[in-house]
Amino acid sequence: MASTSNEAPAVPPSLSLPPSQFARLQPHAYLLAHLSPPAATNQPSIRANGREPLQFRTTSANCGSLTHTNGSAVVRIGDTAAVCGVRAELLHTDDIASWSVARTSSASTNKRQRLAELGEDVTEEDNEDEDDQDRAHIEDLSLLVPNLSLSTGCAPGYLPGAPPSTTAQSISHEILSLLHSSRLVKADDLRIWYQPPNLGPEDEQMDVDEGAGKKAETEEQKPREIKAYWVLYIDIMIISLAGNPFDAAWASVVAALRDTKLPNAWWDVDNETVLCSDDVSEAHKLTLRGLPVASSFCVFEADAAAGWRAKPIPNAQQQKKDGKGRWILADPDGYEDNLAHERVSIVVDKEKNGKTVILKMEKVGGWTIDTEDLRRLVDVSSKRWDEMKQIFDQC
Amino acid sequence: MLELPTIQDTMNDRRRINGPAEGTRPPVYASHLKSGGATDRAQRQREPTDLRKIFLKTGLIPSASGSSYLEFAPSSSLANARSNPKSLIPPSSALKLSCTVHGPKPLPRSAAFSPNLVLTTHVKYAPFAARKRKGHIRDASERDLGVHLETALRGAIIAERWPKSGIDLTITILEAEDDRWWADAPDLHDASWGMMNVLAGCITAASAAIADAHIDCLDLVSGGVAALVSDDSTEDSAAAPRLMLDADPAEHRSIMAACVVAYMPARDEITELWLKGESSKIALEKGDQRSAHEALIDGAVDAARGAHSVLSEAVRETMLRAVTPL
Amino acid sequence: MVGPTASLSNLHRADGSASYKCPVTGYDVLGAVNAPIELPARKDALKPEDATIEVFVKPGKATAGVGERYVERILRTMLEKVILGREKGLPRRGVVITLAAVGGEAAERGDSYITIIPALLHASLLALISAAVPLSMTFTTTLLGVTRSGQIIRDPSPAAAKAVASLHVLSFSSKGHLLLSESQGRFDFETWELVRQQAASICRAVATTGSDGDTDMGEGADGAHVDAFVRETVEDSLHRDYTWKLESA
Repeated sequence: MASTSNEAPAVPPSLSLPPSQFARLQPHAYLLAHLSPPAATNQPSIRANGREPLQFRTTSANCGSLTHTNGSAVVRIGDTAAVCGVRAELLHTDDIASWSVARTSSASTNKRQRLAELGEDVTEEDNEDEDDQDRAHIEDLSLLVPNLSLSTGCAPGYLPGAPPSTTAQSISHEILSLLHSSRLVKADDLRIWYQPPNLGPEDEQMDVDEGAGKKAETEEQKPREIKAYWVLYIDIMIISLAGNPFDAAWASVVAALRDTKLPNAWWDVDNETVLCSDDVSEAHKLTLRGLPVASSFCVFEADAAAGWRAKPIPNAQQQKKDGKGRWILADPDGYEDNLAHERVSIVVDKEKNGKTVILKMEKVGGWTIDTEDLRRLVDVSSKRWDEMKQIFDQC
Repeated sequence: MLELPTIQDTMNDRRRINGPAEGTRPPVYASHLKSGGATDRAQRQREPTDLRKIFLKTGLIPSASGSSYLEFAPSSSLANARSNPKSLIPPSSALKLSCTVHGPKPLPRSAAFSPNLVLTTHVKYAPFAARKRKGHIRDASERDLGVHLETALRGAIIAERWPKSGIDLTITILEAEDDRWWADAPDLHDASWGMMNVLAGCITAASAAIADAHIDCLDLVSGGVAALVSDDSTEDSAAAPRLMLDADPAEHRSIMAACVVAYMPARDEITELWLKGESSKIALEKGDQRSAHEALIDGAVDAARGAHSVLSEAVRETMLRAVTPL
Repeated sequence: MVGPTASLSNLHRADGSASYKCPVTGYDVLGAVNAPIELPARKDALKPEDATIEVFVKPGKATAGVGERYVERILRTMLEKVILGREKGLPRRGVVITLAAVGGEAAERGDSYITIIPALLHASLLALISAAVPLSMTFTTTLLGVTRSGQIIRDPSPAAAKAVASLHVLSFSSKGHLLLSESQGRFDFETWELVRQQAASICRAVATTGSDGDTDMGEGADGAHVDAFVRETVEDSLHRDYTWKLESA
């Protein structure tokens, strides 16, 4: 009350915040300040995490460290870590209700029948027809079962013990869809054949199945049949999440599949079941088609509130001229992920002659990216492919 | 929050990608079927009082307030099988788990008032963690582990420092321990022995993660396991079972009883004790006056002391990292 | 070629609704929009200055699975940018879009849901307009397939879509921006550029601005531009709604 005011309130407590707190309070302004430093300072435009806009995080992969899997991999992209384990189990064709029906009926055109027909004679050639057969087999019989789990305590917000979040479900589907459309796994690797011995002329199946019967008459041996399929349960646990789970998850799936060894298996007539050999030398690795590599990007816009009211959105031609105030960031971390809205995800593979093939391209959530940017990002992705190939080859 | 147990997670779970509707069978190995077991079983190469090496590292998961990763060194048989692969069937397995702590954070709106820190624990096996594929939904044994873990930690945390708050502790087990040698049929003394080793690992890892999250504790709790095993192939009842610290069930013919403790050395206090097996009927070797369960608890505490040295070293590393500028 | 059909405000209890039927692909989607509504259960997740957009996709004949979550995510990220969620009355509230695929082939496990996206997007756009949710732009979407021989086919049916080398869904705004591009299959970038060109010409009439500033919709080679179709549907519906006013005038 009676305090003297002669010692003037010198300086009001300065409102300077340490960078870490500024980053939390004003995430958008913080990242913007890094990306567009004042011209006077002569600093380069760099992301808050110290990376160049199109620079990916350090990536490492490690294969085969999990004991109880047929193939496994741990992939770390920066602070995002994915563990993938592949477990193979058997699906007996005897268990498939419509399998034998499909083999004999010729009129119906259901998918099982298509399957059985395809199963009759398969050439070793890797032609397009075989691709289609592969796809039909793998898809219709659900031979690939990928599931991603985020309920590992990998980040706050994903409750442990809860059913998979929508993000997890969406990524699981994306992985399955990509496994199908890229035809990564060959169905022939998953088939377990049986060559029935010639017992005699009378055989029930021959009478019913005319097509196959005729063939069998002309040939010495009975046609071999598929007795079982390997089903690959591909489980991905995101152990640590710091943005961009898809790239890490997909890389771990590819690495784990490359590592996968299936035991030699045969149909045992006496036991009427499929038996496997535990001999490592008899086991075979999967022969994968190519090496698809996923790269994700996000677009950070300078004006977060742009596009509402007062300021009309320029049409496409005008916008191309402006072209400023937004940054394409490769491999966003958790911080950037929350600030960006527009996203691009590209999966590429390279053919033997070095030609880049796109297997999947997704662009959604905004209107700043068009042909020119996508062309550039495809180039970046194909460079990333070289990088990832080295990492995969090392593990 | 609550998962409906009615949804069979293998069959038709619409939140996951399902396998073939017809169901699949795990592979059957011919060698296993023929002679009823492989010849060279895994054998314990360690001394009865030797523990497996523990790899423990904290702070690997930056989005969590505290985290740790724990790995048991593979047993000699597994290490052999790794370096010189012959069979596809692994002789034993080595525990691998990751643990995260989120919080302290405000309790959800719906929760009742609590003057203390509320600890929630979740333990989940990865589907590929064990010899038999695990389901996606937590089963009884996983819930059990969660409860045991919670008791073990609750006694160590100074909970009144965080009123109205909660922490979530989640453990993902990437590789579990076997309950017995893989080719053995379950016998009279069979129980989920591997679970006890898993619990000991969970306690040690959780304690490291809690320390990494800077949550005040009375002391670091570590887990230890001891077991009474009879390794004689002949059913000779005269041979007394031997006490083994950190017993790997895959390396022993028959485990009679086992005990896991959560132990705080500074206070010489046990926060969790779990005994399994009929220890009261077992007579120890001549000259040992202790009853079987006393011997088991002593052994488990010794094992926990061993784990504690690894734990305190890992926590010390964390602290050094925090104080030394980069 | 039979064009798509659409109608607005068929449901009376929803704030806005629309149905969209594409006879070529066989999809028939009924969309309902409720906005703005309170989302009390998700109070923590609500953004302080923006509306929360939720999209639900229900397949007609089966229970929703993981594939629906994937489509929902795509639709949501796209619509979040188009809906003016900062407009008065919308922040901290929800815009809930429910889309039911009442007709057409149900996608099987692991199938690409790309083929159904155009129908879903058109239905949601019309329903949003019907609910008078402020939008920054309208958009039109098309589905194209590239066969193995490199031929580009428009609106392949789900069966035909299985046989193509690559499938593409592209969405363009009324101002010519590329809003969405989803491609799957094996293709190179040159193919995609061709696809983009063709998609742009299907989606958007070449806007020739007359001297009076009116946009004159040019008729494309195959007659119907999706752009014009959406516009006509909305105009028709408005015409019906304001009949009383027009007649009294």
